[in-house]
Amino acid sequence: MTHYYLQAILAIVLALAVTAGASAQNPDPQASQLPTAGERTDSIKQLHEVTVAAKQPVRTIATSQTLSGADLQALSTTSVADALKYFSGVQIKDYGGLGGLKTINVRSLGAQHVGVYVDGIRLTNAQNGTVDLGKFSLSSMESVSLYNANKLDNCQSASEYASGATVYLQTKRPTSDSLSVQLRNASFFTWMAKLNAQFNWKGWQGFVDGEYCSSRGDYPFRYHSQYEDTVGHRANSDIRYVRAEAALFRGGFSSHVYYYGSERGCPGGIVRRLSDKYTNVGREWDRDFFVQASYKEHFLKWLVFKANAKYANEYLRYNTKYPENQNTARVDNHFRQQDAYGALCVSFLPWSWLSLSSSYDIRYSILRADLKRFDDVKRVDQKLVFAAQMNWHDIQAAVSALHQRYSDWTFVQAGAADPLDRWTPAVSLAYTLYGVTLRGWYKEIFRAPTLNDLYYTQAGNRNLKPEYTKQFNIGLEYHWISRNNSMANGQWAVDIQADVYWNRIENRIVCLPMKGTYTWSMMNYGETFCRGLNATLKGHYRTGQWNFSLLNSITWQRDVDRTDPSDEDMYDKPICYSPAFSTGLTAIAGWRTLQFTTSYLYVGERMWSKADPEDILEPYHNIDMKLSYTHNIKKTSLGLCLEVCDVLDIQYEHIPRYPMPGRNYKLTLSFGI
Amino acid sequence: MMKRYLTFLLLTLYIYNMRAQERIIVLDEGMWQADNGRISYFENGSITSNQWFRDKNGMKIGDTPNDIIQVNENLIAIAVNWSNIVQFIRPDGTAVAATEDIPNNRRLCSDGNYVYVTSYGHECETIYGTRYFEKGFVAKIDVSNFKVVATCEVGYEPEGIALYEGRLFIANTGGYAPEEQDHDFETTVSIVNAATMTLERNVDTGISNLFGEMSQSGRYLCINSPGDYYDIPPCGLIFDCEKALKGEECFVVFNYPVTYNTTTLDGRFFAIGSAFSYITGEYVFSCLTIEPWTVLKTRGRQGLVQTLPGTMASDFANMSQPYGIYVNPYTGYIYGTDAGSFEGAGYLFQWSPQGQLLGQHKVYVNPGHFLALPPDGHQDGIADTGSSQIANHPSAFDLQGRPVSNNGQLKKGTIYIKDGKKTLFGR
Repeated sequence: MTHYYLQAILAIVLALAVTAGASAQNPDPQASQLPTAGERTDSIKQLHEVTVAAKQPVRTIATSQTLSGADLQALSTTSVADALKYFSGVQIKDYGGLGGLKTINVRSLGAQHVGVYVDGIRLTNAQNGTVDLGKFSLSSMESVSLYNANKLDNCQSASEYASGATVYLQTKRPTSDSLSVQLRNASFFTWMAKLNAQFNWKGWQGFVDGEYCSSRGDYPFRYHSQYEDTVGHRANSDIRYVRAEAALFRGGFSSHVYYYGSERGCPGGIVRRLSDKYTNVGREWDRDFFVQASYKEHFLKWLVFKANAKYANEYLRYNTKYPENQNTARVDNHFRQQDAYGALCVSFLPWSWLSLSSSYDIRYSILRADLKRFDDVKRVDQKLVFAAQMNWHDIQAAVSALHQRYSDWTFVQAGAADPLDRWTPAVSLAYTLYGVTLRGWYKEIFRAPTLNDLYYTQAGNRNLKPEYTKQFNIGLEYHWISRNNSMANGQWAVDIQADVYWNRIENRIVCLPMKGTYTWSMMNYGETFCRGLNATLKGHYRTGQWNFSLLNSITWQRDVDRTDPSDEDMYDKPICYSPAFSTGLTAIAGWRTLQFTTSYLYVGERMWSKADPEDILEPYHNIDMKLSYTHNIKKTSLGLCLEVCDVLDIQYEHIPRYPMPGRNYKLTLSFGI
Repeated sequence: MMKRYLTFLLLTLYIYNMRAQERIIVLDEGMWQADNGRISYFENGSITSNQWFRDKNGMKIGDTPNDIIQVNENLIAIAVNWSNIVQFIRPDGTAVAATEDIPNNRRLCSDGNYVYVTSYGHECETIYGTRYFEKGFVAKIDVSNFKVVATCEVGYEPEGIALYEGRLFIANTGGYAPEEQDHDFETTVSIVNAATMTLERNVDTGISNLFGEMSQSGRYLCINSPGDYYDIPPCGLIFDCEKALKGEECFVVFNYPVTYNTTTLDGRFFAIGSAFSYITGEYVFSCLTIEPWTVLKTRGRQGLVQTLPGTMASDFANMSQPYGIYVNPYTGYIYGTDAGSFEGAGYLFQWSPQGQLLGQHKVYVNPGHFLALPPDGHQDGIADTGSSQIANHPSAFDLQGRPVSNNGQLKKGTIYIKDGKKTLFGR
């Protein structure tokens, strides 16, 4: 297998050498067609690349949803998770409050099947496989996109093919120099200050974005039912964090540095207690850092090359040594993870309608922890993909084969897991007729057991098999833009898409006690089958100084257990936390720099246990409102924004006994030059 | 023909009546931090409610009810672990009192006037103020006022507790050892004077982690050790309280885990167990019938039979996740639970005393702890007042279901169970 990878790397390196040579002799012929001939060629190429991406004909073949620009800024959001909840097919898991873990689950595949990418490079956590979306701000993002299956650009890294669903966070490329400051006061003693500086200078663009936030998070909650009337304030839900980011771009080069440090309380579930005397206190400290760079270049008409590199360093401390904590072991554990990642991608375009690409990714991860009976774990994760995409007349097709190999090294007593070696395919087909694109795709992918799954003291199981998913999707998409070019008469744009899907998960990785013991261990257990419908509708209307947007998403799905046909209580019964129906509706009205947004979210009833029909999470309606106004005086701007979240003060929860905050307010003052 | 029908009807009524003698309270632990602990109530061969406590009190029992005992005629105690509550109810299910003075409470025993509770916690609220402990402790609750009147520090994370001859026998686990840096698994059984609540002695068994169900049959205790889940294999112990009090060699270790165990009507133990290792990720399942006196006498060479009555062994082996075993001390009917997938409802199995499977009944999440109520349906129905013929009777027990073998143990004015009926010892 080592030989196999060596051959693959050699093939890619050889291709790069050839393309580099060709590039030196043949400057990009399209560069001369652009008016900015006086500028350096690399910046010219960048402009060209953006143009091509905008017209990307194969985009409609992928099932995707995007929030960008004005729509994204109009939503009432504090983190990426807030924006994603308006996407069709997305279920958010949120433990409540600013500090509560926020993950997303797409089409019921599970959070660990969702890959999150910043500028095309995956955010990873080898330890637990999930990304806390609460740690990422939208203020530095140009767009947030969700792709079911693959994004299908013609030069993608192998990692981008390696998850069931992908979330792309596209960093903003500044177009001018600016400096802005924001101050926010919000409910539950929340204070936030943010600074953003951008520049665009001689073909270089960049920004620095920093934020500090402190919140007591002691929001009130109430549980009212036939058997209880519990009121209280969330305890140990405070958070303090600092986030600092910087990015630098030039042509096909992009880079990003990110730091996030926080201290937060980890509140437990609200259970019957006679007083607040014993709260289950645990506190957590995070320090996440990464630096990444990507370079993409076109050579001749028929070659595209991309290289990605990243280093990530994550530290987590979890401490439960507090007198208020009488209920758990008293620990003070430290976890350190480091990740080094590199990827090479080559795309060959023999004809304008065909692209053939290949990419090799390698990631080296090391996890250290001061747990008892734990030793350093090192993982090398290699991925190789071969992909072909075709866009011939009205027919588009894409096919890819991904090979993944995971090898672990550790001295933990149970030993390292056997290397994991698998090929997985994906195929997509689309046909466009009268502007309507009909598409279908199939994708197989697995998630490898995480380092926690395999090696965590008193839970890990080195014999775990990967969790497999098979997804099948049929959908249609239609875009319509009014031909009327006169702003005075109004301009319309409408996007509609609908997809039906089936997916199956096999060998689910779950934590269960082994038969007849009190001992919990990771196991492969269970199979689920899900079928559903995702639909989105977007409408935009602009006239004069007014603009209106309406964004709607609908999810209907039935997600059932298919583990054991003889188990009448479980088989073919709905999976916990999976609502049958959910919908989001956002209406935005703007006049000059005054903007008003109302977002409505409905999530239907979900089971949280299959033991009793009473074990349900009630459906909830959530209405957020946002009013913002910016006053411009010459080159300076002064903005004021008022947000009211959960206007109806609905008490709801994503996880039983972890209440979400009710109605809360945010007032933001911003100043920019 | 009429005669045949009449006979059939009478037989049905008789069987119905016999089955109606079975009244079992089952604790469903629920899921951790989901506040969905429940109580199921089994009577007349069927589950009458899977939310008995809610039905009777209009409120929830709390998170992870972990143990249940009969304290006296009118009182039952329940340790609700994650809620930090010891809940007292009447036999009809109505709540009497609750205390949160003993956080992280685990297991209970009682002498009728006091309830003794083991706790993994490090502090306890008593009538003399807050007491702090480096390790775990035992608290003594006076049921006349439901206050903690005394405490005693024992080993780290004490689990099973039993009362014999005025002494408390506590199995220490050190169960947090895999996570906590400052101690290892415990290997001791602590002996505490119940009257003075002072530690008299720690018996070192040399066996790590005495965790799990602990059953008592008179002077004998059946204790489980799951090992350390890595190098130290699981095993079981038979512990002789009588010999321990005399300072003699008092336990025998055998190579079978007894993860879930219970006392039978004739004073033996039934046990099911699973040996699990994180190194191999595999488990070995076993069933045992244990004759404690023989095990002690023969140093474990005899008295251990790898079988259970009737179909029980195969029924347990076919369960998804066995989670408890219990013999009704009044009738000898046998019960077991299957926790299933832990996401759905568990099941209560009922066997005849001969091990014939009588039925399985859907209960709630993680059913694991049992208490039988007296079969005649009257808590205060004392059949024989002032009996002097209790000791050494083949089916005589105290209210905790322990066989009564020695006249010296009996207290005048105390109620015992003889032939399935309450009997006042007095004459």
